[in-house]
Amino acid sequence: MYRLFVLGNYKSGCGRHALMSLTALLLCSGIGALAQNNALPLNTNTLFSIRATHLLGFPNTKNNCRGTLSTQDNWLRFQQTGELGAQVDIASIRHVFLGEETMQVGGLPMKIGKAAAPYGGGRVVSLFAHKKYDTLTMEYVDSDGGIHGAIFQVTKGQGELVRNGLLARGVSSSPGDGRTTNQDSLGGTHEYK
Amino acid sequence: MNTNKWSTWILSVAASVTIVVACSGRFHGQTADVKPFDASSGPTKGWSVQVERVDPGQLDLTPSFQVAIYENLLQELNKTERFKQVLREGDSKASELPNLLILKTTVARYARGSETQRAVTTVSGATKLTVRSQLVTPEGRIVLERTVNGNARFFGSNLRATHNLARNIAKVIKQSEWRGSEPANAVLTSLPW
Repeated sequence: MYRLFVLGNYKSGCGRHALMSLTALLLCSGIGALAQNNALPLNTNTLFSIRATHLLGFPNTKNNCRGTLSTQDNWLRFQQTGELGAQVDIASIRHVFLGEETMQVGGLPMKIGKAAAPYGGGRVVSLFAHKKYDTLTMEYVDSDGGIHGAIFQVTKGQGELVRNGLLARGVSSSPGDGRTTNQDSLGGTHEYK
Repeated sequence: MNTNKWSTWILSVAASVTIVVACSGRFHGQTADVKPFDASSGPTKGWSVQVERVDPGQLDLTPSFQVAIYENLLQELNKTERFKQVLREGDSKASELPNLLILKTTVARYARGSETQRAVTTVSGATKLTVRSQLVTPEGRIVLERTVNGNARFFGSNLRATHNLARNIAKVIKQSEWRGSEPANAVLTSLPW
Protein backbone atom coordinates (compact mmCIF):
# COMPACT_ATOMS: atom_id res chain seq x y z
CA MET A 1 0.00 0.00 0.00
CA TYR A 2 2.77 2.38 0.89
CA ARG A 3 4.95 0.99 -1.83
CA LEU A 4 4.79 4.10 -3.95
CA PHE A 5 5.46 6.35 -1.02
CA VAL A 6 8.28 4.11 0.12
CA LEU A 7 9.70 4.00 -3.35
CA GLY A 8 9.44 7.72 -3.44
CA ASN A 9 11.31 7.96 -0.24
CA TYR A 10 14.02 5.80 -1.66
CA LYS A 11 14.36 8.00 -4.73
CA SER A 12 17.30 10.23 -4.93
CA GLY A 13 16.98 13.78 -3.65
CA CYS A 14 17.73 15.09 -7.12
CA GLY A 15 14.57 13.51 -8.65
CA ARG A 16 12.34 14.87 -5.94
CA HIS A 17 13.82 18.28 -6.40
CA ALA A 18 13.16 18.16 -10.13
CA LEU A 19 9.55 17.11 -9.51
CA MET A 20 9.01 19.97 -7.09
CA SER A 21 10.58 22.42 -9.50
CA LEU A 22 8.33 21.22 -12.29
CA THR A 23 5.24 21.56 -10.12
CA ALA A 24 6.27 25.06 -9.07
CA LEU A 25 6.88 25.99 -12.69
CA LEU A 26 3.46 24.71 -13.74
CA LEU A 27 1.78 26.57 -10.90
CA CYS A 28 3.57 29.79 -11.75
CA SER A 29 2.71 29.56 -15.44
CA GLY A 30 -0.91 28.76 -14.53
CA ILE A 31 -1.12 31.79 -12.28
CA GLY A 32 0.53 33.86 -15.00
CA ALA A 33 -2.01 32.71 -17.55
CA LEU A 34 -4.84 33.46 -15.14
CA ALA A 35 -3.41 36.90 -14.52
CA GLN A 36 -3.24 37.47 -18.28
CA ASN A 37 -6.86 36.43 -18.74
CA ASN A 38 -7.95 38.75 -15.99
CA ALA A 39 -5.96 41.63 -17.44
CA LEU A 40 -7.75 41.52 -20.81
CA PRO A 41 -11.16 42.84 -19.78
CA LEU A 42 -9.51 45.54 -17.71
CA ASN A 43 -8.23 47.15 -20.89
CA THR A 44 -11.03 49.65 -21.34
CA ASN A 45 -9.61 51.02 -24.57
CA THR A 46 -10.73 47.92 -26.45
CA LEU A 47 -14.46 47.37 -26.07
CA PHE A 48 -14.75 44.52 -28.51
CA SER A 49 -13.00 42.84 -31.40
CA ILE A 50 -15.10 40.47 -33.43
CA ARG A 51 -15.18 38.88 -36.86
CA ALA A 52 -17.69 40.59 -39.12
CA THR A 53 -18.71 40.86 -42.76
CA HIS A 54 -18.84 44.35 -44.16
CA LEU A 55 -21.93 44.54 -46.34
CA LEU A 56 -21.69 48.16 -47.42
CA GLY A 57 -21.01 51.74 -46.46
CA PHE A 58 -17.74 51.77 -44.50
CA PRO A 59 -15.13 54.08 -46.08
CA ASN A 60 -12.42 52.58 -48.28
CA THR A 61 -13.71 49.08 -47.73
CA LYS A 62 -14.97 46.59 -50.29
CA ASN A 63 -18.54 45.39 -50.00
CA ASN A 64 -19.19 41.87 -48.76
CA CYS A 65 -15.75 41.30 -47.31
CA ARG A 66 -14.81 39.66 -44.05
CA GLY A 67 -12.61 41.23 -41.44
CA THR A 68 -12.31 42.27 -37.84
CA LEU A 69 -14.56 44.92 -36.36
CA SER A 70 -13.10 46.47 -33.25
CA THR A 71 -12.85 49.60 -31.21
CA GLN A 72 -9.60 51.19 -30.20
CA ASP A 73 -9.65 54.33 -28.12
CA ASN A 74 -12.22 56.54 -29.86
CA TRP A 75 -12.25 54.72 -33.19
CA LEU A 76 -14.39 52.02 -34.66
CA ARG A 77 -12.19 49.99 -36.95
CA PHE A 78 -12.74 47.42 -39.62
CA GLN A 79 -9.76 45.62 -40.99
CA GLN A 80 -9.66 42.98 -43.66
CA THR A 81 -7.08 40.27 -43.19
CA GLY A 82 -3.78 41.42 -44.57
CA GLU A 83 -5.13 44.69 -45.95
CA LEU A 84 -5.45 48.30 -44.96
CA GLY A 85 -8.22 49.01 -42.53
CA ALA A 86 -10.66 51.86 -42.22
CA GLN A 87 -11.83 53.61 -39.13
CA VAL A 88 -14.54 55.99 -38.08
CA ASP A 89 -14.59 58.27 -35.08
CA ILE A 90 -17.09 56.87 -32.58
CA ALA A 91 -18.18 60.44 -31.81
CA SER A 92 -19.34 60.75 -35.42
CA ILE A 93 -21.67 57.72 -35.15
CA ARG A 94 -25.17 59.03 -34.62
CA HIS A 95 -27.25 55.88 -34.48
CA VAL A 96 -26.71 52.16 -34.25
CA PHE A 97 -29.42 49.60 -34.94
CA LEU A 98 -29.47 45.88 -34.42
CA GLY A 99 -31.35 43.64 -36.79
CA GLU A 100 -31.58 39.99 -37.70
CA GLU A 101 -31.30 38.24 -41.03
CA THR A 102 -31.56 34.65 -42.11
CA MET A 103 -29.25 33.76 -44.94
CA GLN A 104 -28.37 30.71 -46.93
CA VAL A 105 -24.94 29.35 -46.14
CA GLY A 106 -22.29 27.94 -48.42
CA GLY A 107 -22.15 30.68 -51.00
CA LEU A 108 -21.77 29.95 -54.69
CA PRO A 109 -20.36 26.39 -54.38
CA MET A 110 -23.35 25.40 -52.30
CA LYS A 111 -25.71 27.02 -54.80
CA ILE A 112 -24.14 25.08 -57.67
CA GLY A 113 -24.30 21.90 -55.65
CA LYS A 114 -27.96 22.44 -54.85
CA ALA A 115 -28.77 23.17 -58.47
CA ALA A 116 -26.98 20.03 -59.58
CA ALA A 117 -28.66 17.79 -57.03
CA PRO A 118 -31.20 15.47 -58.71
CA TYR A 119 -34.91 15.21 -57.91
CA GLY A 120 -35.00 18.62 -56.30
CA GLY A 121 -32.68 17.51 -53.56
CA GLY A 122 -31.16 20.97 -53.50
CA ARG A 123 -34.40 22.42 -52.24
CA VAL A 124 -34.42 20.06 -49.30
CA VAL A 125 -30.84 21.07 -48.53
CA SER A 126 -31.93 24.73 -48.67
CA LEU A 127 -34.45 24.04 -45.93
CA PHE A 128 -31.63 23.34 -43.51
CA ALA A 129 -28.72 25.26 -44.99
CA HIS A 130 -29.53 28.61 -43.52
CA LYS A 131 -28.19 30.54 -40.60
CA LYS A 132 -29.28 33.52 -38.56
CA TYR A 133 -27.05 36.56 -38.36
CA ASP A 134 -27.17 39.87 -36.59
CA THR A 135 -26.96 42.93 -38.76
CA LEU A 136 -25.46 46.10 -37.34
CA THR A 137 -26.57 49.24 -39.07
CA MET A 138 -24.91 52.52 -38.21
CA GLU A 139 -25.26 56.08 -39.34
CA TYR A 140 -22.30 58.40 -39.05
CA VAL A 141 -21.36 61.80 -40.39
CA ASP A 142 -18.20 62.84 -42.21
CA SER A 143 -16.21 66.02 -41.72
CA ASP A 144 -18.51 67.90 -44.16
CA GLY A 145 -21.60 66.84 -42.27
CA GLY A 146 -22.70 64.34 -44.91
CA ILE A 147 -24.57 61.35 -43.55
CA HIS A 148 -23.16 57.89 -44.22
CA GLY A 149 -24.58 54.50 -43.46
CA ALA A 150 -22.76 51.23 -42.91
CA ILE A 151 -24.02 47.69 -42.46
CA PHE A 152 -22.12 44.82 -40.88
CA GLN A 153 -23.14 41.24 -40.51
CA VAL A 154 -21.95 39.44 -37.40
CA THR A 155 -22.54 36.10 -35.75
CA LYS A 156 -25.82 35.93 -33.88
CA GLY A 157 -25.43 37.27 -30.38
CA GLN A 158 -22.37 39.36 -31.09
CA GLY A 159 -24.36 42.24 -32.51
CA GLU A 160 -25.72 42.95 -29.05
CA LEU A 161 -22.17 43.17 -27.73
CA VAL A 162 -21.18 45.75 -30.34
CA ARG A 163 -24.36 47.74 -29.92
CA ASN A 164 -24.00 47.84 -26.15
CA GLY A 165 -20.38 48.86 -26.52
CA LEU A 166 -21.32 51.75 -28.77
CA LEU A 167 -24.28 52.74 -26.62
CA ALA A 168 -21.91 52.94 -23.67
CA ARG A 169 -19.92 55.45 -25.67
CA GLY A 170 -22.98 57.66 -26.10
CA VAL A 171 -24.27 56.49 -29.48
CA SER A 172 -28.06 56.42 -29.64
CA SER A 173 -29.99 53.39 -30.78
CA SER A 174 -32.95 55.16 -32.36
CA PRO A 175 -33.32 58.42 -34.25
CA GLY A 176 -35.77 59.68 -31.64
CA ASP A 177 -33.45 59.67 -28.66
CA GLY A 178 -30.43 60.80 -30.61
CA ARG A 179 -28.03 63.21 -29.06
CA THR A 180 -27.17 66.28 -31.03
CA THR A 181 -23.83 66.00 -32.73
CA ASN A 182 -21.58 68.91 -33.28
CA GLN A 183 -20.68 68.34 -36.90
CA ASP A 184 -17.86 70.83 -36.85
CA SER A 185 -15.97 68.88 -34.25
CA LEU A 186 -16.33 65.50 -35.87
CA GLY A 187 -13.27 63.73 -37.03
CA GLY A 188 -14.81 61.99 -40.03
CA THR A 189 -13.18 58.99 -41.57
CA HIS A 190 -9.58 58.03 -41.83
CA GLU A 191 -7.50 55.25 -43.17
CA TYR A 192 -4.89 53.58 -41.08
CA LYS A 193 -2.29 50.92 -41.50
CA MET B 1 1.54 63.36 -123.54
CA ASN B 2 3.42 65.56 -121.11
CA THR B 3 0.62 68.12 -121.18
CA ASN B 4 -1.85 65.35 -120.46
CA LYS B 5 0.09 64.19 -117.42
CA TRP B 6 0.47 67.74 -116.22
CA SER B 7 -3.28 68.42 -116.45
CA THR B 8 -4.06 65.15 -114.66
CA TRP B 9 -1.72 66.12 -111.87
CA ILE B 10 -3.34 69.58 -111.59
CA LEU B 11 -6.77 68.04 -111.54
CA SER B 12 -5.85 65.60 -108.79
CA VAL B 13 -4.34 68.37 -106.68
CA ALA B 14 -7.42 70.51 -107.19
CA ALA B 15 -9.65 67.59 -106.25
CA SER B 16 -7.60 66.94 -103.11
CA VAL B 17 -7.76 70.59 -102.09
CA THR B 18 -11.52 70.64 -102.70
CA ILE B 19 -12.00 67.50 -100.60
CA VAL B 20 -9.86 68.87 -97.77
CA VAL B 21 -11.70 72.20 -97.76
CA ALA B 22 -15.07 70.50 -97.92
CA CYS B 23 -14.20 68.15 -95.12
CA SER B 24 -12.86 70.90 -92.92
CA GLY B 25 -16.05 72.90 -93.50
CA ARG B 26 -18.12 69.83 -92.71
CA PHE B 27 -16.20 69.10 -89.52
CA HIS B 28 -16.50 72.73 -88.56
CA GLY B 29 -20.24 72.56 -89.21
CA GLN B 30 -20.52 69.40 -87.19
CA THR B 31 -18.80 71.02 -84.25
CA ALA B 32 -21.20 73.90 -84.52
CA ASP B 33 -24.08 71.43 -84.62
CA VAL B 34 -22.77 69.47 -81.66
CA LYS B 35 -22.45 72.51 -79.46
CA PRO B 36 -26.19 73.14 -79.14
CA PHE B 37 -26.64 69.42 -78.49
CA ASP B 38 -24.17 69.62 -75.65
CA ALA B 39 -25.90 72.71 -74.44
CA SER B 40 -29.24 70.97 -74.43
CA SER B 41 -28.10 67.78 -72.79
CA GLY B 42 -25.22 69.33 -70.91
CA PRO B 43 -27.03 71.08 -68.08
CA THR B 44 -27.17 67.84 -66.14
CA LYS B 45 -23.40 67.90 -66.08
CA GLY B 46 -23.60 71.35 -64.52
CA TRP B 47 -26.15 70.20 -61.99
CA SER B 48 -25.55 68.51 -58.71
CA VAL B 49 -27.83 66.28 -56.74
CA GLN B 50 -28.16 65.84 -53.02
CA VAL B 51 -29.55 62.50 -51.93
CA GLU B 52 -31.76 62.57 -48.88
CA ARG B 53 -32.18 59.68 -46.53
CA VAL B 54 -35.01 57.28 -47.28
CA ASP B 55 -38.33 58.13 -45.70
CA PRO B 56 -39.99 54.86 -44.59
CA GLY B 57 -43.39 56.55 -44.50
CA GLN B 58 -45.89 54.54 -42.48
CA LEU B 59 -44.14 51.27 -43.20
CA ASP B 60 -42.01 49.25 -40.86
CA LEU B 61 -38.90 49.28 -43.01
CA THR B 62 -35.83 48.08 -41.16
CA PRO B 63 -32.98 50.60 -40.76
CA SER B 64 -30.66 48.31 -42.69
CA PHE B 65 -32.92 48.62 -45.74
CA GLN B 66 -33.13 52.39 -45.41
CA VAL B 67 -29.37 52.70 -45.17
CA ALA B 68 -28.79 50.22 -47.99
CA ILE B 69 -31.12 52.10 -50.36
CA TYR B 70 -29.45 55.40 -49.47
CA GLU B 71 -25.90 54.11 -49.96
CA ASN B 72 -26.74 52.21 -53.14
CA LEU B 73 -28.46 55.30 -54.56
CA LEU B 74 -25.33 57.37 -54.02
CA GLN B 75 -23.24 54.71 -55.71
CA GLU B 76 -25.56 54.25 -58.68
CA LEU B 77 -26.06 57.99 -59.26
CA ASN B 78 -22.31 58.45 -59.33
CA LYS B 79 -22.09 55.72 -61.96
CA THR B 80 -24.56 57.50 -64.27
CA GLU B 81 -22.23 60.52 -64.59
CA ARG B 82 -25.27 62.72 -65.20
CA PHE B 83 -24.49 65.02 -62.32
CA LYS B 84 -21.52 67.18 -61.56
CA GLN B 85 -21.58 66.15 -57.92
CA VAL B 86 -23.58 63.65 -55.92
CA LEU B 87 -23.86 64.85 -52.34
CA ARG B 88 -25.06 63.25 -49.18
CA GLU B 89 -27.74 64.59 -46.91
CA GLY B 90 -26.35 67.17 -44.53
CA ASP B 91 -23.30 67.94 -46.67
CA SER B 92 -22.33 71.54 -46.02
CA LYS B 93 -21.05 71.92 -49.61
CA ALA B 94 -24.62 71.79 -50.89
CA SER B 95 -25.35 75.38 -49.84
CA GLU B 96 -22.55 76.66 -52.06
CA LEU B 97 -23.74 74.93 -55.24
CA PRO B 98 -25.80 77.03 -57.64
CA ASN B 99 -27.58 74.24 -59.54
CA LEU B 100 -28.74 71.75 -57.00
CA LEU B 101 -31.50 69.20 -57.07
CA ILE B 102 -32.63 67.16 -54.09
CA LEU B 103 -33.56 63.51 -54.49
CA LYS B 104 -36.29 62.45 -52.09
CA THR B 105 -37.23 58.80 -51.72
CA THR B 106 -40.35 57.66 -49.91
CA VAL B 107 -41.18 54.01 -49.49
CA ALA B 108 -44.65 53.24 -50.79
CA ARG B 109 -44.74 49.47 -50.50
CA TYR B 110 -42.54 46.87 -48.90
CA ALA B 111 -42.91 43.12 -48.79
CA ARG B 112 -40.29 41.40 -46.71
CA GLY B 113 -39.29 38.16 -48.37
CA SER B 114 -37.22 35.20 -47.27
CA GLU B 115 -34.09 33.91 -48.91
CA THR B 116 -34.79 30.41 -47.63
CA GLN B 117 -38.31 30.48 -49.06
CA ARG B 118 -36.91 31.63 -52.39
CA ALA B 119 -34.33 28.87 -52.37
CA VAL B 120 -36.86 26.19 -51.53
CA THR B 121 -39.83 27.23 -53.66
CA THR B 122 -38.28 29.53 -56.32
CA VAL B 123 -41.63 31.25 -56.92
CA SER B 124 -42.39 32.68 -53.49
CA GLY B 125 -40.51 34.64 -50.87
CA ALA B 126 -39.57 37.60 -53.05
CA THR B 127 -38.56 40.83 -51.37
CA LYS B 128 -40.40 43.69 -53.06
CA LEU B 129 -39.82 47.38 -52.68
CA THR B 130 -41.74 50.21 -54.27
CA VAL B 131 -40.68 53.80 -53.71
CA ARG B 132 -41.71 57.21 -54.90
CA SER B 133 -38.71 59.18 -56.06
CA GLN B 134 -38.83 62.93 -56.46
CA LEU B 135 -36.24 65.30 -57.78
CA VAL B 136 -36.99 68.71 -56.35
CA THR B 137 -35.34 72.09 -56.53
CA PRO B 138 -34.23 73.79 -53.28
CA GLU B 139 -37.37 75.96 -53.65
CA GLY B 140 -39.48 72.84 -53.49
CA ARG B 141 -40.49 72.56 -57.14
CA ILE B 142 -40.81 68.95 -58.29
CA VAL B 143 -38.99 68.38 -61.58
CA LEU B 144 -39.31 64.60 -61.68
CA GLU B 145 -41.58 62.19 -59.89
CA ARG B 146 -41.56 58.49 -60.54
CA THR B 147 -42.62 55.30 -58.83
CA VAL B 148 -39.85 52.74 -59.02
CA ASN B 149 -39.69 49.07 -58.03
CA GLY B 150 -36.86 46.91 -56.82
CA ASN B 151 -37.16 43.21 -56.14
CA ALA B 152 -35.10 40.24 -55.07
CA ARG B 153 -36.91 37.34 -56.71
CA PHE B 154 -34.59 34.42 -57.19
CA PHE B 155 -31.03 34.87 -56.05
CA GLY B 156 -29.24 36.79 -53.38
CA SER B 157 -30.09 38.13 -49.99
CA ASN B 158 -33.00 40.40 -49.17
CA LEU B 159 -30.73 43.44 -49.31
CA ARG B 160 -30.22 42.77 -53.00
CA ALA B 161 -33.63 44.33 -53.56
CA THR B 162 -32.20 47.67 -52.40
CA HIS B 163 -29.41 47.43 -54.96
CA ASN B 164 -31.87 46.67 -57.75
CA LEU B 165 -34.10 49.52 -56.62
CA ALA B 166 -31.25 52.04 -56.57
CA ARG B 167 -30.14 50.89 -60.02
CA ASN B 168 -33.68 51.37 -61.36
CA ILE B 169 -33.97 54.86 -59.86
CA ALA B 170 -30.63 55.84 -61.38
CA LYS B 171 -31.76 54.41 -64.72
CA VAL B 172 -34.97 56.47 -64.66
CA ILE B 173 -33.00 59.62 -63.92
CA LYS B 174 -30.42 58.82 -66.56
CA GLN B 175 -33.05 58.24 -69.22
CA SER B 176 -34.86 61.46 -68.41
CA GLU B 177 -34.36 64.43 -70.68
CA TRP B 178 -33.53 67.88 -69.41
CA ARG B 179 -35.28 71.02 -70.52
CA GLY B 180 -34.41 74.45 -69.28
CA SER B 181 -31.28 75.74 -67.71
CA GLU B 182 -32.59 77.47 -64.62
CA PRO B 183 -33.91 75.61 -61.61
CA ALA B 184 -37.27 77.34 -61.90
CA ASN B 185 -37.68 76.20 -65.51
CA ALA B 186 -36.05 72.82 -65.23
CA VAL B 187 -38.25 69.96 -66.28
CA LEU B 188 -37.26 66.35 -66.48
CA THR B 189 -39.26 64.08 -68.68
CA SER B 190 -38.72 60.40 -69.06
CA LEU B 191 -37.77 59.19 -72.48
CA PRO B 192 -39.74 56.24 -73.84
CA TRP B 193 -37.87 52.96 -73.46
